[in-house]
Amino acid sequence: MTFKSFLTLIIITVSLTNCSQKSSEEKPKVAVVISTLNNPWFVVLAEAAAKNAEQLGYEAKIFDSQNNPAIESDNFENLISSGYDAILFNPTDADGSISNIMKAKEAGVPVFCMDREVNSNDAATSQVLSDNYSGCAEIGIEFVKSLNGKGKYVEILGLVGDNNTWARSGGFHSVVDKFPGFKMLAQQSGDFDRNKAMEVLETIMQGHPDLEAVFCGNDAMAMGAYQALLSAGKADKVKVFGFDGASDVIEKIAEGKIVATGMQYPIVMAETAAKFADEYFKGKRDFPQRVPVEVVLVKKSNAGSFK
Amino acid sequence: MNKELLKKSQSLIALFALCLVISILSDKFMTSSNLWNVLRQISVNICISVGMTLVVLMAGIDLSVGSVLAFSSAVCAGLLSKGISIPSMDLFIGFTVLGGVLVALIVGLLMGLFNGWVITKFSLPPFVATLAMLTIARGATMLYTQGIPISNLGSSFEFIGSGWLLGIPVPVWISLFVVLSVVFITNKTTFGRYIYAIGGNERAAFLSGINIKAVKLAVYGISGMMAAVGGILVTSRLNSAQPNAGASYELDSIAAVVIGGTSLSGGIGTIAGTVIGATIIGVLNNGLILLNVSPFWQQVVKGLVILLAVIIDQKSKKKA
Repeated sequence: MTFKSFLTLIIITVSLTNCSQKSSEEKPKVAVVISTLNNPWFVVLAEAAAKNAEQLGYEAKIFDSQNNPAIESDNFENLISSGYDAILFNPTDADGSISNIMKAKEAGVPVFCMDREVNSNDAATSQVLSDNYSGCAEIGIEFVKSLNGKGKYVEILGLVGDNNTWARSGGFHSVVDKFPGFKMLAQQSGDFDRNKAMEVLETIMQGHPDLEAVFCGNDAMAMGAYQALLSAGKADKVKVFGFDGASDVIEKIAEGKIVATGMQYPIVMAETAAKFADEYFKGKRDFPQRVPVEVVLVKKSNAGSFK
Repeated sequence: MNKELLKKSQSLIALFALCLVISILSDKFMTSSNLWNVLRQISVNICISVGMTLVVLMAGIDLSVGSVLAFSSAVCAGLLSKGISIPSMDLFIGFTVLGGVLVALIVGLLMGLFNGWVITKFSLPPFVATLAMLTIARGATMLYTQGIPISNLGSSFEFIGSGWLLGIPVPVWISLFVVLSVVFITNKTTFGRYIYAIGGNERAAFLSGINIKAVKLAVYGISGMMAAVGGILVTSRLNSAQPNAGASYELDSIAAVVIGGTSLSGGIGTIAGTVIGATIIGVLNNGLILLNVSPFWQQVVKGLVILLAVIIDQKSKKKA
């Protein structure tokens, strides 16, 4: 690189940082570190957290960890050294993220976990969590009711390396496996991805055209599964269940095309975490370690109130 | 000619062996509905891999295809659902299916041309230039969609991905058209000969008067456009553009090219080989799910099959 282009690069960088940091005098700075922005659900969580912090009078900025604990670690180091006062945190990994929280704790920066938990009770100041396990147990109960206690079904899992995948699957099976009338024809991964879930279900249907229901580990996959059933002309014969509370699935539930999903409340979690940070700045120190935020079952009868 | 034939039949034999094993293990594999299912599912990878083959034939690589796919998919869906509106000028432009598809193709082409321009103008290694585009295009997709899928694209658009024409799924027609066009280009045109010449020996090709920069520019442009074709197919099948569409598709596509016997150092390889390579990957994906193999094992098995295919290919080259 020539000296001139190097200089230009510096000027560009400086001018970019300048315009993003206007009015930064003495307001506490809140960082929102989010596991991924590659999924609309987390985008909502991140933006709600930032918006709530701003409304409380703080400066807020979002950092994307791209589902990678190593990038998350870089984010933490950068924002600790650039003087952030609190972190609203959505961890990438229940164990891998603990050391990052400890770094912030040592630097005197409080960390409030949102949605996903870490397996430690003395790292984060507080954890505002969505209860994936019991949320999916609720779905399981609705599943059993809607199929009258028996039937052949397919489960489409999320990313097999993600602990939410197994919390959801575990909650679902904790109910459904008690009923001997159910038979799981196949259990495959759709990587939380709409297209992958569609292709996986298309293939499963080749071997099991007699399936009666599909349980998907998130709503993107439920939409993919529905699309596969639609092209196969089975959309009205096979019952689809999702989890997340995505707006397109709620629309389909209201139309009676998807049976149920679990509504998680990213906005409530973000609000609570931002409120905790505010209270922390005002001197409060004793926060409950875990604050569960209920997952609400959405079915046709109540879908209208979620739109 | 004999060597070519031997090499081509090598991967064909591997494909047949794979099909045989799966059909012994599952009686659902060799049904017409499943085979159409496989062909429809591999059509996206075939389109991308055909473009990738041209790039690899010139000893290049295009890592940006998955992100370019996502961006052109998002643009296509955005235009179909929202059109372009400029409130200050009181202007609204709506798009028909054809219009949206054409713009998406042009967007893919331009991103590919940009790759080619950076590579030729600044003599950057293609790996680096297209790696940068992988990030840029993914970021652009996030910006454009704000991380949220674009849905409700209308039922006429769905025909491209889910429709049937003369008893054959439309995506299969499209990939067939793409394959035949590119086979024609590589075998029957001077442009095609130039691609092989550059991959075989770039210096010699330059000295014999081939405009290397122009050929490279065109080939990366084609690769970008093929990614856009894949993007249109994915969008139409889901009737929705996903911000994270196409992630890691570059790996599937490179795998298809390599399994199909194209040399990563350029100059050697065929489109037909790539089609067989993509089919092997598709059949494998399909078979592992039909047999309800644990998702943990699937990735291991896929990796091993790729390894095996390339080892066999290497051996046959040494013999020949």
